[in-house]
Amino acid sequence: MKSRICWFLAGAFLAMVVFAGSVFPAAEAKITVLNPLGVAPPIRLVPMAQRLDSLDGKTVYIINIGMGDTFLPELQKVLSERYPKTNWIFKNKVGSYFDDDPKLWEEIKAKGQAMIGGVGH
Amino acid sequence: MITQRFVDLVRTIAFKKGMPNLNQRFTFTPHPVATRTREECYKFVRGNDPVTGKPIVDEIIAALTKPLTAEDKKTGFMTRPPRSRLMEPDTPTNLAQLFYKNGWTDGLPIVLPTEERVAEMLKGTSHSKNENVGTMRPSPPHEAWEFDVEMVATNAVMAGAKPEHLPVILALASTGTTSLFSSTTSFARMVIVNGPIREQIKMNAEIGAMGPFNESNAVIGRAWTLISKNLGGGGTPGETYLGSQGNNLNYNNVCFPEREDALPAGWNPLHVQKGYKAGDSVVHTLSGWSLINGGGWIKPRNKHIQQMLTGLFQSGGNGSRAIVLLDPIGAKDCHDEEGFETKEKLSEHLKKNASSPAASYFRRSGDMLQKAKEGVEPFATWLKYPEGTFVPVSPFRSEDPIEILVVGGATNALMMVGDFSYVASASVDKWR
Repeated sequence: MKSRICWFLAGAFLAMVVFAGSVFPAAEAKITVLNPLGVAPPIRLVPMAQRLDSLDGKTVYIINIGMGDTFLPELQKVLSERYPKTNWIFKNKVGSYFDDDPKLWEEIKAKGQAMIGGVGH
Repeated sequence: MITQRFVDLVRTIAFKKGMPNLNQRFTFTPHPVATRTREECYKFVRGNDPVTGKPIVDEIIAALTKPLTAEDKKTGFMTRPPRSRLMEPDTPTNLAQLFYKNGWTDGLPIVLPTEERVAEMLKGTSHSKNENVGTMRPSPPHEAWEFDVEMVATNAVMAGAKPEHLPVILALASTGTTSLFSSTTSFARMVIVNGPIREQIKMNAEIGAMGPFNESNAVIGRAWTLISKNLGGGGTPGETYLGSQGNNLNYNNVCFPEREDALPAGWNPLHVQKGYKAGDSVVHTLSGWSLINGGGWIKPRNKHIQQMLTGLFQSGGNGSRAIVLLDPIGAKDCHDEEGFETKEKLSEHLKKNASSPAASYFRRSGDMLQKAKEGVEPFATWLKYPEGTFVPVSPFRSEDPIEILVVGGATNALMMVGDFSYVASASVDKWR
């Protein structure tokens, strides 16, 4: 009788271990991995260009960088109506978004006091 | 002024360019505006900024005239948070989730880069783990990130690569070419491998070379995407990646070796064409958008290629350069039956005999479109051509070759053409 009870208890214990193992799996161990990111450069702060105290008598360029043929000319029209003492000049930057246009930037520096850049589709 | 769809992009760029306060002077317009009618633009200009709700014209005037604050005038440097070499310890399940949530994967499961795995990967090169490999950026306006050998090895582990793949992956990273170029037009990239390394790492140039069948082809191409995200500071949609529809080719970047053993006599492999010796191992990067497939029953082959190229550019292919991927059967026909003794001769023939659909010509040539609108001939007449009419101008730039490559298992004389162009090459041997 004693040995039967012992066998029963041992069997029950084993069943509990198996049951607990399936219901409560062993917790995952923590591991250490390497950071996959590269190194971003420091950011050099660039002060903004001085603003205009008044628009009167000034030349402001409106530069089109991919915004199509219609929106910015319409903007030029509205600005010219509302600010007639300002010379609003519309120009297209050459090439794609990624192309530089040093001639245009030189022209704006030489002849203008401000610039509105229009970028998008 | 920026169209509304690019709010995150311009704020990120302004920050990285050192003008974090500039975003207070942006004016946003509805998106898109380029294709809107005059009537729509009339309303937009007189309406409100869709982001701030303020009148567009008032915002522009304020941006031009509102005095600068002390913050606006600041100079010096902004430091970034220091980069730790190791991540905080965590369970594999949590780390896998963290990598995915941080945008450090391609959406597929990765191999976590434990110290042991990265150390094993580093056995694939003789170079010091701290040696600088190069820099990479998502596109020219973005900042370039730096990376060393260990960082490349970490991403190679993530992609499932083995140590023997590392020299190719290092060479690829050293080109500084991102595989996730940030443009609204959803660029794709291509990786071509030449030289003895192809055999040494058992790459597949034969049946199914561009399909999901070979470990080396798969993991090298995948590693480039992970490197472009994690080491090249790219691949965050809306900020450092703008491809409107994305490009499925980016998963593996069309990575394959050229089938050098099937090149007809006189046809040099790509690395020799680019100035390397035949015994060198070299990796090349190419850039484009799409590939189209052509049947193998049309002869002569060169005429068929011509038709496919025309179709590609007529249906919206971008750029002004092209690639032709010939199965060995097609390459042999071009050489034996049609007399193209070299790749260069076939390339020149294709360029000289090409013409452009008028619409795509003017789409690519903004300056000529302007001349056409001003009445300058022959552009003004070409602009009036009905849809589908061709103009006698090759869509290909005279200084650039149409790249010809041979790949495939010779089960059929199929071919592919695409609007891909050569970008860069790097020695694999240098990184062994």
